[in-house]
Amino acid sequence: MFKKFVAKENVSGVTQMKSSAIRGVRAKLIEDYPGLEEFQDVILPKKESYNLVKCHERIEIIAIGGEPVFFRQRDGPYMPTLRLLHKYPTILPWQQVDKGAIRFVLSGANIMCPGLTSAGAKLAPAEEDSIVAIMAEGKTHSLSIGLMKLSSEEIHTVNKGIGIENIHYLNDGLWHMTQIK
Amino acid sequence: MAEPVEDIPVEEPEAEVEVPKKSKKKDKQDRANYPLKVNYCGVCSMPFEYCEYLADYDKCKRWWEEHFPDFFERAMKIGDGVDGEGDDPKKRQKRGGRGVIKAKKQVEKSKISVGRVTRNKKKFVTVVKGLETHGVSLKEAAKLFGRHFSCGSSVSGDEIVIQGDFVEDVMVLLVEKYPEIEEDDIEDIGKQKR
Repeated sequence: MFKKFVAKENVSGVTQMKSSAIRGVRAKLIEDYPGLEEFQDVILPKKESYNLVKCHERIEIIAIGGEPVFFRQRDGPYMPTLRLLHKYPTILPWQQVDKGAIRFVLSGANIMCPGLTSAGAKLAPAEEDSIVAIMAEGKTHSLSIGLMKLSSEEIHTVNKGIGIENIHYLNDGLWHMTQIK
Repeated sequence: MAEPVEDIPVEEPEAEVEVPKKSKKKDKQDRANYPLKVNYCGVCSMPFEYCEYLADYDKCKRWWEEHFPDFFERAMKIGDGVDGEGDDPKKRQKRGGRGVIKAKKQVEKSKISVGRVTRNKKKFVTVVKGLETHGVSLKEAAKLFGRHFSCGSSVSGDEIVIQGDFVEDVMVLLVEKYPEIEEDDIEDIGKQKR
């Protein structure tokens, strides 16, 4: 989603969010990510200013205090940015890919089933269409955020083709968007 | 300087855990640690452990050596200790696909040029070009100039136009206000024609 994303070109407008909208977002986020609840005061502080960054292709990024924190496309689910995920790795469930897959993921490729079922990988049970963090064999930090295209069981049985869609990965356009003015 | 320790792949606190459920239990014990502080490489902006997948790995290493010497040493030791790492490149080659990924390029800094344009015989405007490559927001800079010289100041395209002759003053102000701008970066291009 953010492969060819450049903050300067793809942002169409930044607006301050209304407090009622913020309330809605906060409730939605906590509903979607139960792991977020214990950190909600730190991640979603009440006093900070919330900005909604509207971008091309109907991408919306929520920035708190100038820092992009969550994003979504169209009416899809909100997803945390990788920088936030690195700080609070427990807010998302994760899948682990093997070593060989890392560089493909880092160049934006979707995660193929064999990369999730081989020896170096670990596949946790997850539903289709759920948001997961992608970790790598031998690494501490997650390298990508993805959307399960198949359920974990299906990945095991099919073992071919795309298993997780790569939405946001290290070194992509959103990663390089650190501050919002 | 305790943080870099967290980045050492050997410990793998998260990667070891199989199921997310387990990890949650684990995290409750050391909840005090959140938010985790992750160090990012100054060259490629990635967490250290992913530097090796980018084209400028050598540069990253040098950066580590300078900024996180203890992490650098440990990383080098691990690299020597594990034999598997040695033949990894060959395996990678076989799988094809793209080579190393290039880190996004930082824009090279160009000279800032300050010039004076005659408006009508006795009136001038000052034109400042090339500020944005130094990481200065044009909009904010224009506002600053306007306020500082109490005159009109606007952004037009990639340059800032200040109403009045402030060539010398702008040069002094830029160096003073923005630590990232050196005196040598600024160039006086003198009288210009529209």
